[in-house]
Amino acid sequence: MTAPEATTKPRFAETREFLDQIRTRVGKVVVGQDVVVERVLIALLTSGHLLLQGVPGLAKTLLVAAVSKTVDLAFARIQFTIDLLPSDIVGSEILDQKTHEFRTHKGPIFTNLLLADEINRAAPKVQSALLEAMQERRVTIGNQNYALPAPFLVIATQNPVEQAGTFELPEAQLDRFMLLHRLEYLTTEQEIEVLRRNAALGVRRDGKGAVARTEFDVLGDQAVGSSDRLVQAMEDVQQVYVSEAFLQHVVEIVNRTRRHPQLELGCSPRAGISLVKASRARALIHGRDYVLPEDLFALAEDVILHRVRLSYEAVAEGHTSQQVLQEILSEAAR
Amino acid sequence: MSNVRRFGMLLALLVTTALPAQSRDQRSAAVGMRAYVEQLVLPGSELEPAPGDMKSPVVVRVLKVWPHGNQLRYDLEWTGLEAGEYDLAKFLRRKDGAASDDLPKVAVVVTRTLPKQQMEPSEPAPSPAPRLDGYSRLQGIAGIAWAVGLLLILFVGRRRRRAAVAPPPPKPTLADRLRPLVEAVAGDRANSAAKAELERLLLAFWRARLDLQQQKAADAILTIKRHPEAGALLRQIEAWLHMPAPPARVDLSGLLAPYRTVTADDFAPLPAPGQTTAGKA
Repeated sequence: MTAPEATTKPRFAETREFLDQIRTRVGKVVVGQDVVVERVLIALLTSGHLLLQGVPGLAKTLLVAAVSKTVDLAFARIQFTIDLLPSDIVGSEILDQKTHEFRTHKGPIFTNLLLADEINRAAPKVQSALLEAMQERRVTIGNQNYALPAPFLVIATQNPVEQAGTFELPEAQLDRFMLLHRLEYLTTEQEIEVLRRNAALGVRRDGKGAVARTEFDVLGDQAVGSSDRLVQAMEDVQQVYVSEAFLQHVVEIVNRTRRHPQLELGCSPRAGISLVKASRARALIHGRDYVLPEDLFALAEDVILHRVRLSYEAVAEGHTSQQVLQEILSEAAR
Repeated sequence: MSNVRRFGMLLALLVTTALPAQSRDQRSAAVGMRAYVEQLVLPGSELEPAPGDMKSPVVVRVLKVWPHGNQLRYDLEWTGLEAGEYDLAKFLRRKDGAASDDLPKVAVVVTRTLPKQQMEPSEPAPSPAPRLDGYSRLQGIAGIAWAVGLLLILFVGRRRRRAAVAPPPPKPTLADRLRPLVEAVAGDRANSAAKAELERLLLAFWRARLDLQQQKAADAILTIKRHPEAGALLRQIEAWLHMPAPPARVDLSGLLAPYRTVTADDFAPLPAPGQTTAGKA
């Protein structure tokens, strides 16, 4: 893989500053989700899609809204439910009563940053309509093809505990998500900080009445950079150097998932591609113009875990995917 | 209907009526077996079976009766109940009550299949009564047999299998894998796969030395980097392997010199601070 050109080097510092500003601005609104913010940035910089898995109330929606406002991206949110139709997402042709002609009504998917809330609550045909658009970055309404705006990123969420009435995403569709990040509860100090900030929000006057202010009211409209700046950062990611030794590490880990006796399904080649892409973005976020094994180890869970499936025997013996992956990573280090 | 079809039907009718029916004339039968005497022409008025009793040696039934000139033709079914020679005419009588002495003799023979003296079915052969005791003894014998079988499977079967399967060659230790890689890198003979494996083995070496096996790989690598000796080594290896243009030339021979003679014991965790250091590296 070629080394970055010397002319791009000064821009690396600017890009890092831009990314730091995003993290700082989002951190003012969302407490203690630095890793999640980093994953959202990785997804943004690589045009990969992100699936956030966590219980309700971990500020997933607030986080995505904060990122979109910070980078000045168009943002849309769809709450997935059982009765949602593909046309509710993609759009449809509507008969105009005045002109007696069909008019195209574009759905909420025509945005830069789409939050698909609780994606596993929608029927499989709706899920596949969204996932098809994620893959091809274009949709068909009537007989007409429409390209989705660039950048286009889907951040989907799913709740791991309430499984009744949900449709689990199949492996082939999970593979479309570059990263699946599992959100965890905040530490005690972070949670106290959340409560402290929430207590200081106060009320907002609305006409003659008033409503309690939420964290969404705190989001400033001043973006730290335009989408052009983001596109430059995306170009910089492509300049991050990937050594031959790093590629050997990636292929070794991916191959180990395919050979491991406790895994019924190992990683696809797309997992290896995602590992390299995400590692490049992480290296840039951490101010490097080259990737290191620590990027690989930091991202392995988010890139690999949703792409592997435990065997029945391993499940019966009480093993988890996390344990198996750590074993693979340890073995990779042996 | 066409003439051809009509002619065909007529021909079939003629053939079926012209051909005489195959009549049975069974004059001999074993005891209890039914037999038939058909198309038998007997003179006089119509006949019927004479009423018999339980001891009657022959039972006769009149199946069909047809006129035959001024006589009658009969189909008879008869069953002999006792062996001997009999005249079926003796077992018939006239329906109108007239005398039937003028009937010709219809001789039949009832044969026996059992020996002459045997009047009833054979007595069943006496058999010994099933054994009602000894269950506990049987249970004990079965238990001993089961235990002997288990011991044979456990010891004899295993010994044979152990003798048949050769022991696998010992797995090379991490030290065995690390030394040739260090030599190859020092001699500038290592390809990218070997260099990558060397990096992984050095990580494994320090993960074991610093006792970080229980930590996640992502956390362990950060801990290793914070260690003065391991961190310095790892940063130089990373610069050599992963940086597009390393800031200074890396002295690989000097850097990897302590690992040329590394042994499996060197992968043991370092003693806690304050204790004596036993490792070489």
